Amino acid sequence: MNLPAWLNPEPWLNRTFTAADVQHALGAESPDEETLAALLSPAAADFLEPMAARAQALTRRHFGRTIQLYVPLYLSSWCSGGCAYCGFASDRQTDRHALEFDAVEKELVAIKAMGFEEILLLTGERSHKANLDYLRECVKLAARKFHNVTIEVFPMSGNEYAQLAEAGATGVTLYQETYHPETYDRMHRWGPKKDFFQRLEAPERALAGGLRFAGLGALLGLADPRHDMLALYRHARHLQKTYWQTGLTISFPRIRTEAGGFVPPHPVDEKMLAQIIFAFRIVLPDVPLVLSTRENAAFRDGMAGLGINKMSIASKTTVGGYGDRGSEEGQFDVSDTRGLDEFCAMLRSKELEPVFKNWDGVYRLTA
Amino acid sequence: MFLTVNGNKIEHLGDGTVSALLAELGATPEHTALTVNGDLVFSKHWKIFKLNDGDTIEVLTFVGGG
Amino acid sequence: MLKLGNVEFKSRLILGTGKFSDTATMIAAIEASGTELVTVALRRFNRDKPSDDLCAPLAKLKGVKLMPNTSGAMNAKEAVRAAQLGRELSGSPFVKVEIHPNPHHLMPDAIETYLAAKELAADGFIVLPYIPADPVLAKKLEDVGCAAVMPLGAAIGSGSGLSTAEMIKLIIRDSNIPVIVDAGLRAPSEAARAIEMGCDAVLVNSAIAAAKDPVAMAKAFALGVKTGYAARQAGLMPKSDIAVATSPLTSFLK
Repeated sequence: MNLPAWLNPEPWLNRTFTAADVQHALGAESPDEETLAALLSPAAADFLEPMAARAQALTRRHFGRTIQLYVPLYLSSWCSGGCAYCGFASDRQTDRHALEFDAVEKELVAIKAMGFEEILLLTGERSHKANLDYLRECVKLAARKFHNVTIEVFPMSGNEYAQLAEAGATGVTLYQETYHPETYDRMHRWGPKKDFFQRLEAPERALAGGLRFAGLGALLGLADPRHDMLALYRHARHLQKTYWQTGLTISFPRIRTEAGGFVPPHPVDEKMLAQIIFAFRIVLPDVPLVLSTRENAAFRDGMAGLGINKMSIASKTTVGGYGDRGSEEGQFDVSDTRGLDEFCAMLRSKELEPVFKNWDGVYRLTA
Repeated sequence: MFLTVNGNKIEHLGDGTVSALLAELGATPEHTALTVNGDLVFSKHWKIFKLNDGDTIEVLTFVGGG
Repeated sequence: MLKLGNVEFKSRLILGTGKFSDTATMIAAIEASGTELVTVALRRFNRDKPSDDLCAPLAKLKGVKLMPNTSGAMNAKEAVRAAQLGRELSGSPFVKVEIHPNPHHLMPDAIETYLAAKELAADGFIVLPYIPADPVLAKKLEDVGCAAVMPLGAAIGSGSGLSTAEMIKLIIRDSNIPVIVDAGLRAPSEAARAIEMGCDAVLVNSAIAAAKDPVAMAKAFALGVKTGYAARQAGLMPKSDIAVATSPLTSFLK
């Protein structure tokens, strides 16, 4: 299986970048793909400090000294999928739960009481317990309380995305996991997720269906990070140029420990992750970059405002867990276990202001 | 017949076709475009298109422009 | 190669034919510039002013296509009419949609331009709209089938240069069609700068017609455009000094 030419990062992978190339990239007036390739290269590892300074300046210019906060709510851990790296894969011995609607409401009330205005709703692959109808109802409930409702769920048709948009969903998050086809095939052992292109094309269907925001990402550790990050950039630019009236965000999920003990074939350390984030801020200066609680507190504290301008906190990756006691096993281990107040205090100590919503949903016409 | 051509009232003495009018005006057909009462008349119709008394005609050509 | 619609051009300099002191100078400037596309305007035929008539001299030029503009139109309806007349007269599918209701500053009407461009693109024209340097408008025009967008550098004839550079950069960033700076340029160095910045071509009229020696200036602009393109291909050196914070930002990365 071959990647389409517009997505394929192969042309960059054979090139060796020198320190001079990195200097050149750092001074580029209109950063582009070549800039990114240079800044992702091994040579750029010696330039983290100037990259961080540039990333901080660009983040301040485009986002001010603010950090957008959101929180994930796992609606269901039912999943028929076979992702080798995920705690909810169908061959894992874990209790399966799906929140009934009154439980969903309880969770939403608890999350809103914490102060959040933006919520991310998650499920696994399409299942009888968490299908489109279930999701639509949950979106409706969430849209009554939250100004931004993002869904991170199974890929679906344009018509189905349109239904969720009408129900009040504002965004979709869908990580391609890896843009490397052989790795993708190996990692996704069975189920509908095996279809690489169906997943790849889903964000476009979502945007065409009326969702306003698309969140992209690749799971760092699965394949060569340079390959995946360059393909991710191409994917992002493609969406920006085609769906120009929509917004993008980019996340940098890194494989973390989970109960099943999956070991990533291409581990990415903190320095490399920082390098990737700085590089993306430099080439996509006005795209929000997201860091979740997969990462530990010290790393998140350091990266806040250095490219990263959107973060989750006080997260539970178990089903529910905010209103009631959550289920035992989460999708992945949360590293930053701080509460919201403690986190906000940290941000303020770094002269960063936590922001819970950046626009009002009150004038949006929804069901 | 009397016609208004480029804002001026004139008397046309030819056979009433566009071709005849252009010849009368001294305009080169290949370098001219024409509207009659606001409608574009394609050059392929000029030999047969009949003008009527009182028609308003614009005879246009290219000049320098940015 | 510059591709507009289905037509390819070697030259990235487009010339306007207005404001020249006489036709002979205009023709000589066109030839000196190496351009392959010139704009023309429609006016009433005047038998007493045959020297205004460009059709005969232009027809003699080899390898130069005509792009009628809709200058004089006050709204979309008039612009569509003008475009149809222009196509009929020139046989060329190219049209520059140019609608400026205010005869003083000559700034383009974005709304009427969009409406005209949409109709003309659907009617098979190769549409090049002259617009304010507005990134959203540019994408909307791309969506309705324009072959390129032509954001102004500054007001027509002002010679104020690339005053809209930052906006033009935003247009270039997300455009899938060529971006051509039109209006406001004064010096060949500005044309070079526009191309270096990422523009696909420039359209120049006043800067050449009103120069002391228009023919020499036309040649200079051609060189400027070529220089800008060569510089872009060569990759300009980095611009800024890399500032390093006094307290390291990355000390948390061990």
